Amino acid sequence: MTLAATALPALVEFAGVSVIFDGRVRALDDVTLAVGKGEIVGLVGESGSGKSTLCRVLVGLTPPSSGTVKVGGRTVTEQLAQAPLAFRRRAQLLLQDAVASLSPRMTIGRTLEEPITIHALPRANARLELDGILTRLGLSTDVLAKFPHQISGGQARRVGVARALLMKPEIIVADEPTAGLDVSVQGELLNLLLDLQRDFGLTYLLVSHNLNVIRRVTERTAVMYLGQIVEDARTSELFAKPAHPYSAALLSTNPVVDPKKRAHPIVLQGEIPSAVNPPSGCRFHTRCPVAQPKCTSDPPLLLPLDGGRRVRCHFPFSLAPRGQ
Amino acid sequence: MNAAIEFARPLVSIRHLRLEALTARGTAHILRGIDLDIGKGRIVGVVGESGSGKSSLAACLLRLLPANVSRLDGEILFDGVDLVPLREPAMNAYRGARIAMIFQDPMTALNPLFTVGTHLRDVLRRRHPGMASDEARRRSIAALSSVGIADAALRLDSYPHQLSGGMRQRVMISMALAVEPDLLLADEPTTALDATVEAQIVSLLENLRRTFSGSIVFISHHLGLVAQLCDDLCVMYAGTIVESGPVDDVLGGPRHPYTRALLACELDDEAAGGRLVSIPGEVPDPVDARDACVFAPRCPHVREACLAGMPALRDAGPGRRAACVRWEEIEFERSKPAPR
Amino acid sequence: MTALRTAWTILRRVCATLTGATGFGIVLVVLVAALFAPWVATADPDKLDVMNRFSAPSLAHWLGTDHLGRDLYSRLVHGATIALAVALSAIAVALSVGTLLGVAAAYLPPRLERFVLIVFDVIASFPSMVLALAIVAVFGPSTTIVIIIAGITLMPHFGRVARGQVLALKSAPFLEAERILGASFGRIVGYHILPNIIGPLVILASMDIPVVITIEAGLSFLGLGVRPPLASWGTLIQDGYQFLSESWVPVVVASSALAVATLGFTLFGEALRDAVDPRIRQEH
Repeated sequence: MTLAATALPALVEFAGVSVIFDGRVRALDDVTLAVGKGEIVGLVGESGSGKSTLCRVLVGLTPPSSGTVKVGGRTVTEQLAQAPLAFRRRAQLLLQDAVASLSPRMTIGRTLEEPITIHALPRANARLELDGILTRLGLSTDVLAKFPHQISGGQARRVGVARALLMKPEIIVADEPTAGLDVSVQGELLNLLLDLQRDFGLTYLLVSHNLNVIRRVTERTAVMYLGQIVEDARTSELFAKPAHPYSAALLSTNPVVDPKKRAHPIVLQGEIPSAVNPPSGCRFHTRCPVAQPKCTSDPPLLLPLDGGRRVRCHFPFSLAPRGQ
Repeated sequence: MNAAIEFARPLVSIRHLRLEALTARGTAHILRGIDLDIGKGRIVGVVGESGSGKSSLAACLLRLLPANVSRLDGEILFDGVDLVPLREPAMNAYRGARIAMIFQDPMTALNPLFTVGTHLRDVLRRRHPGMASDEARRRSIAALSSVGIADAALRLDSYPHQLSGGMRQRVMISMALAVEPDLLLADEPTTALDATVEAQIVSLLENLRRTFSGSIVFISHHLGLVAQLCDDLCVMYAGTIVESGPVDDVLGGPRHPYTRALLACELDDEAAGGRLVSIPGEVPDPVDARDACVFAPRCPHVREACLAGMPALRDAGPGRRAACVRWEEIEFERSKPAPR
Repeated sequence: MTALRTAWTILRRVCATLTGATGFGIVLVVLVAALFAPWVATADPDKLDVMNRFSAPSLAHWLGTDHLGRDLYSRLVHGATIALAVALSAIAVALSVGTLLGVAAAYLPPRLERFVLIVFDVIASFPSMVLALAIVAVFGPSTTIVIIIAGITLMPHFGRVARGQVLALKSAPFLEAERILGASFGRIVGYHILPNIIGPLVILASMDIPVVITIEAGLSFLGLGVRPPLASWGTLIQDGYQFLSESWVPVVVASSALAVATLGFTLFGEALRDAVDPRIRQEH
């Protein structure tokens, strides 16, 4: 299993990870992915793709039903069993609903004390650091006395980041970091995340349904469909020339403002199938505009292509990126 | 094509629309004097971020307002008749007959206790009272097929929870179309849908133009979507319209600083690297009733004149209007070559 | 302190309606009588004066005397103390045990959870009077028994509400966020779950006060509750009932006190429930 596109040592390694809920729903199916130290990797996919589950497996919220996830060479399961607090400090997850991720009856100040108390961080030191982090994130100290429902979505998101940073993590997983934010303030938050990555040497796994965010911020992107990774490539290459028909269709749905650059999106037939009973063969064949008979019966494997790209398709590059 | 607004009488003519509501912190100015024309057969996109009042504008057109509304002033001329002073029974005659609406969340907009067939039948019977059952059924099947639902006859007996999000949205659209309205309001109809499903609905809406002869108001926060679907664009900020006009003209050459800033923030085709643009500051508090340009605190071109009073929506080109006292100056400054 | 300010806001809301204000007024009167009985009462409630039995209301005895010449008014006032003491104790028991079991049920594996729920159902479906009779038959009547009976009777209600609240909260994002931080289970339950479910439980408690008062009065009326010389309203009604032919005053007076107190607490509890609605969050 070659690791894609990364010359950096892998910090995170997913090896054949599957997650099955209630014995029926295959949220993740045999996922293999590596994230190098300091990389910014994007994860795109629609409902049922498994991207949220992947994030939760990484931070240890959901145990894999089979396969292993390694962070820094040791499996997550092992680290959680032997030194849970240390592992928690390594990998943090920023939840999609930032306001709801803060305890509703605690002030922001109390919430930010949680990591200090739980991990028994030296108090005086931690206070100084917190002040520094707040300034860095553009939050004034009067936010500390407020309750989650009194602050804006953007502020809540930054509080979440502050909470994560207090533990000096190596990895930050961000689930839809710009969801709910107005376009006019998205840029600020993303700039912030990029600055933090640079200054602290963080590794990011970024989930977003906003393809423009993925395109501008990430170096590498994995496209997921029904619990599987269908393509994994350098972001610029993926957007320029997607190999998997689903990637091509998904990327073409992004409406563009500039009338000169506008093109017809590829409109897929049918709905996203259920994860309980995925289609036979290639899971995408029911909606694929260029499916062949082989696709109905023969499930394709995630195989490497040139340039460090991986694709799960029998006939990659058979769908032109922007329709006709 | 793009000057049609001025020459034909518009279907809807909104003048000086004000909407205020009482909140615990004071009177919120949700709409601060809206002037808007919706041409017959045109698709008008209304774009705005949080606090812009775009959803409230749609609510005003249908007069489905929350209980804490304290003031609704101005004029909404619908085909010549002012809707604002109408009493409830008269207003109700318009809803579901001449004005229809599609909502953002298809899950909560359909009654979980009724089948799709019942929903459609109710809509049809409201429009054509006393319609026979088999006629209603025939028309329902046709309505569902026209929005791309396969096995329409089977679907009539499905309950909302048995359908996917995209399917439910199609059902809602077919219900709205069955009304045969003069005006169709669509409030973020694709926001809750997955990208590929959204593409299907967008394609459906585009094809609609050929069969639907009424006007459409398409409300969205997504500029790209509006650019693709609409003829005219109306940009809202903090309860006011800051710019309006044909969509390609406005997006190709915005006159109002907010529109320009918003476009710059759209993470478009640029490759990675380089700082991302955002607009510093925050949307003004609706309780703040200051009589000045609403965008002034965040505007890079602000001058004293901007604080003297709310700028009127004035001419900014053929069929275009912008609420900026300095738009000509700014255009001029921008057209000058950069100093060496 | 925001907690005090919130309490004040809630109180204002409660008193904004007629029923709420009435309820609160009655509750206040009962509270004062119960807490300051020795000062509110005019005489020793146990002082016998048989010569003066069934005397009419007078300056010395505001409501007259009972069949043993004891001051009715003072007995009434001390009855309030009993009523409230029993009510609050019983509810404390029901609340703590119920919440403990309810929270546990929300986290236990399905089999054990079902067992806890069955326990709740069994207790809830048992007629409380039969249960009371059975317990009293074994242990004899006493105030403690009344408290235990009322506590057991109410416990399933609190348990179910607590469990429901925890279940609703279990998948809340902020709990996940705490787990991601590394918070232990105990910390999550203690610091994050309990403070968020305590609200509805407190409302329930206030609405159950009249229920316990009535249970206690009923048991005492049957002679299964508090023992003499302690006199609860139920005992007073029983005493008056025995001598109804000689005077209607004791029965009427004691029953009225019971009815008014129950009404007052009910009105207050309902007004409290309405006042604490999610509306209060908008005010922040």
